Amino acid sequence: MSYKCSRCKRDVELDEYGGVRCPYCGHRVLLKERSRDIKDVDVR
Amino acid sequence: MQDYEVEFVERGDREARFLVRGITPAFANGIRRAMIADVPTFSIDQLRVVENSSVMFDEQIGLRLGLVPLTTPEGEFEIGDEVTLALDVEGPSREETTETVTAYSGDIVSSDELVRPADDNIPIIDLKAGQRLEVEADAVLDHGREHAKHQGGVAVGYRHLQQVEVVGDKGEFADDEPHILRGVIEDDGELIATDEFDNDLTERYPDKELAVEDVPNAFVFHVETDGSMTVEDLVVRAVDSLRDRADELRESVQL
Repeated sequence: MSYKCSRCKRDVELDEYGGVRCPYCGHRVLLKERSRDIKDVDVR
Repeated sequence: MQDYEVEFVERGDREARFLVRGITPAFANGIRRAMIADVPTFSIDQLRVVENSSVMFDEQIGLRLGLVPLTTPEGEFEIGDEVTLALDVEGPSREETTETVTAYSGDIVSSDELVRPADDNIPIIDLKAGQRLEVEADAVLDHGREHAKHQGGVAVGYRHLQQVEVVGDKGEFADDEPHILRGVIEDDGELIATDEFDNDLTERYPDKELAVEDVPNAFVFHVETDGSMTVEDLVVRAVDSLRDRADELRESVQL
């Protein structure tokens, strides 16, 4: 799963042992990146 | 078929008021309901979100786009026909600016020039620097009874025509209260919209004793469309749909 650090803006890959923490700056707030897939939405 | 007497009180492309004489209350209501539910219009029904880095969810933008009225020419399309539309708007190019760029309905590009936004100035969303909205959409022709976004008539109603008769003078000590009446009145055969005298009969007939009565089987329709078609088109298509259904019923009950 790809995240972006909210402080240093670098891409972060999380694994199950590393915890939620940016490996570059140690910041704990990570933003989830939106998938590049085209999303279908029903307008109803 | 019986002919009805129709007279326009106000006539515009999107809003009109007209009087119909010689119809029953049930038929008047039938026309009103047909204008709302039976006249099909185009509306966005499917969205493909290529990029949305704005602050709103895809679904919220979808709902906003679904409510943008699209022009619906008569006789060119059938129920279920689709037209593809696209919207691609980006926020301001300068990173440091706090200004926003607004995506308007006028930015929507249509694959068919007959089906396009009826208004160009409906705001969809504000975009800041670095934000972008790129979507593709399918507009579908369907009825208002399937979803309110397909309603061509947005404010459709009717009132009885009122007849005002002067029966005498008010007494010297009579109450000087306003006599509010909304709609259209008939005075000596002349049709007058009540907003011409602030909906207050005492403005038009000061110090007069009045008798106000409904004119039987005469209804004043007030019709406003969302811009997908003119009022005239909407009314004619609504009456046509009633006629088609009546014909269908007549054929199906003939053994």
